Amino acid sequence: MELTELLDEASSSYTQESAWLSACRQAASSAAKSSGLPTLKTEEWKYTSVAKLANAGLRLAQKQDADATDKAAQLLPPAAAANRIVLVNGYYSEQLSELESDTHLSVTRLHDLGEDDAQIAQLLSRGEDVFAQLNTATMTEGLVLDVADHVEQEQLVSIVFVATHPEPLLRTPRIIIRAGKNSRLRLIEEFVSGADDLGLTNVVSDVSVEDGASVWHHRIQEESRSSAQIGRINVDVGRDASFHSDSVAFGGGLTRIDIDVRLNQQGAECTLNGLFAVTDEQHVDHHTRVEHRVGDTHSRELYRGILDGRSRGVFNGKVVVHQDAQRITAEQASNNLLLSREAEIDTKPELEIYADDVSCAHGATVGELDQTALFYLRSRGVSEDEARALLTYAFAEKVIDAIPVAHVRRYIEQRFIGHQRMSETLELLSNG
Amino acid sequence: MLKIKNLHAEINGTPILQGIDLEVKPGETHAIMGPNGSGKSTLSHVLSGRDGYEVTQGSIEFNGKPLLELEPEERAGEGVFLAFQYPVEIPGVNNVYMLKAALNGIRTYRGEKELSAAEFLKLVKARVKAVGLNESLLNRPVNEGFSGGEKKRNEVFQMSVLEPRLAILDETDSGLDIDALKAVADGVNALRDAERAFVVVTHYQRLLDYIVPDYVHVLANGRIVKTGDKNLALELEARGYDWVLEEAAA
Repeated sequence: MELTELLDEASSSYTQESAWLSACRQAASSAAKSSGLPTLKTEEWKYTSVAKLANAGLRLAQKQDADATDKAAQLLPPAAAANRIVLVNGYYSEQLSELESDTHLSVTRLHDLGEDDAQIAQLLSRGEDVFAQLNTATMTEGLVLDVADHVEQEQLVSIVFVATHPEPLLRTPRIIIRAGKNSRLRLIEEFVSGADDLGLTNVVSDVSVEDGASVWHHRIQEESRSSAQIGRINVDVGRDASFHSDSVAFGGGLTRIDIDVRLNQQGAECTLNGLFAVTDEQHVDHHTRVEHRVGDTHSRELYRGILDGRSRGVFNGKVVVHQDAQRITAEQASNNLLLSREAEIDTKPELEIYADDVSCAHGATVGELDQTALFYLRSRGVSEDEARALLTYAFAEKVIDAIPVAHVRRYIEQRFIGHQRMSETLELLSNG
Repeated sequence: MLKIKNLHAEINGTPILQGIDLEVKPGETHAIMGPNGSGKSTLSHVLSGRDGYEVTQGSIEFNGKPLLELEPEERAGEGVFLAFQYPVEIPGVNNVYMLKAALNGIRTYRGEKELSAAEFLKLVKARVKAVGLNESLLNRPVNEGFSGGEKKRNEVFQMSVLEPRLAILDETDSGLDIDALKAVADGVNALRDAERAFVVVTHYQRLLDYIVPDYVHVLANGRIVKTGDKNLALELEARGYDWVLEEAAA
């Protein structure tokens, strides 16, 4: 990726925007130029190379035509929610999106936000790393989702990011989510792409969970192998508020996801769950960072990886406990299943603790399928292939179990076992 | 039905079975007894096709087919069932779904049509009552958090659904109190008929009070050293194994 060229192209194409947005972009652009792309010597990118992307000849995605919309419509998964926002190659598609009118959720396009919004300007300027800066500088679309204060009825919305272009495009959507005080929001983000898609989706979500609010964020990445994704989720959690994240990654040639959670007020808590299943030459890297900025905050984290072929997985989970942030608890587990001798996982917990009254636990495991369980199933008449699939599903199940969206569970069952007879049987059983 | 001839097997180069000969006919129940380390569990494992054992000599024929050439799931398809000494806990795999996959695997192997979820559940509900397994265990992960007795009952329940031609019970009595033992034995006895054969592997005679065998074989140092009827088991209970071993050595 010719970083400078992309940034300059963006500067010349976003001339019609409001002054404050333009200023944010320019600042981010300069920052990105001075940051430069990471190399394997950059600590945070030690195991993940972006060299291929640098040489992919990426161009900035332009506004999408009807043809792209038609192609995208073919790729849409079954609707996960009545409110569904669809982005095609990084741009909001009015035609494919559906928003119910009697909802407490408002969706605003950043381009339509004429006035300066200090909070948004601040989020856009944060620029945690070069890709966050690149996102702000080149942002193809910005959407702001607001749930008003005290809306206790859970708001459900899905966002589908469709990538479909035979040329290597850079797509840089930005999603800003504000869950007002004591509100409840469930957000499902799905990433899909066409088989011939090339290019990079560089997406950033900023989530603000205000006092007493709860946000559930389910993220399903199932792009084709020729696509790449670098995603970031920034989360601020207020007093007695909670954030729950499930990050599921199956697709993509190269996937890098950063999740940064700041527990800012007493009683804030977060659960970060992740599941990745990759094969062949796929590479998936999750970096999580949880900051306990004050006392009486709690975090839990469970990541499970399933690696086959010559795939490579990376998990880096950092927990930072600020000075005098007492009575916090932090748990972290990274469990990995290697289905092939050539697959590789690099897993690293990192703890930085500057308080004394804390309870932190972390553990990492790497293993193979349990041979005794495999034999048990086969001795009952289950074929070897199905027995392996069942045990692989079982490994994933602990994470899947926390995803309360039926179609996501079925999807994962299909992915691992190749059919959905298990949920059919279980549904029948539970219905008597 | 089952013909074992001159079976020799070893683990990592250590000979365990050293010439087993055994024939089991339909409807018969054979008990295999013997001291610890005599090769009882190895025999069960070799019959069911578990990895880690090398058969160096001899053959096993099951209804005319060479059993040793079949994969474990093919043996299940032929009608062989092993009730485990230590039933495996499989978190994340639902008990009833595993059984459905097993039954349909066996049916497919036999060229029969798979059962639908509804047909299968009807069958399961009937059998679970017959075996006296707590119905709430159906919807749990395989054996996870089950008590020792529940695990063994679950084995018998699986057996009742899969309807094997030959069932091998590997130390099914281990770890059971008398009530659980009786319940498990009742489940097994309900499945005995003129066609189905059982091989009951046990260290103690106690189980044989409830599952009464037609033949009792004593296994020692990897060979069957004595065969008798149910009275042999009582004699072993009263006198221990030493006299049989001495008799065999003489």
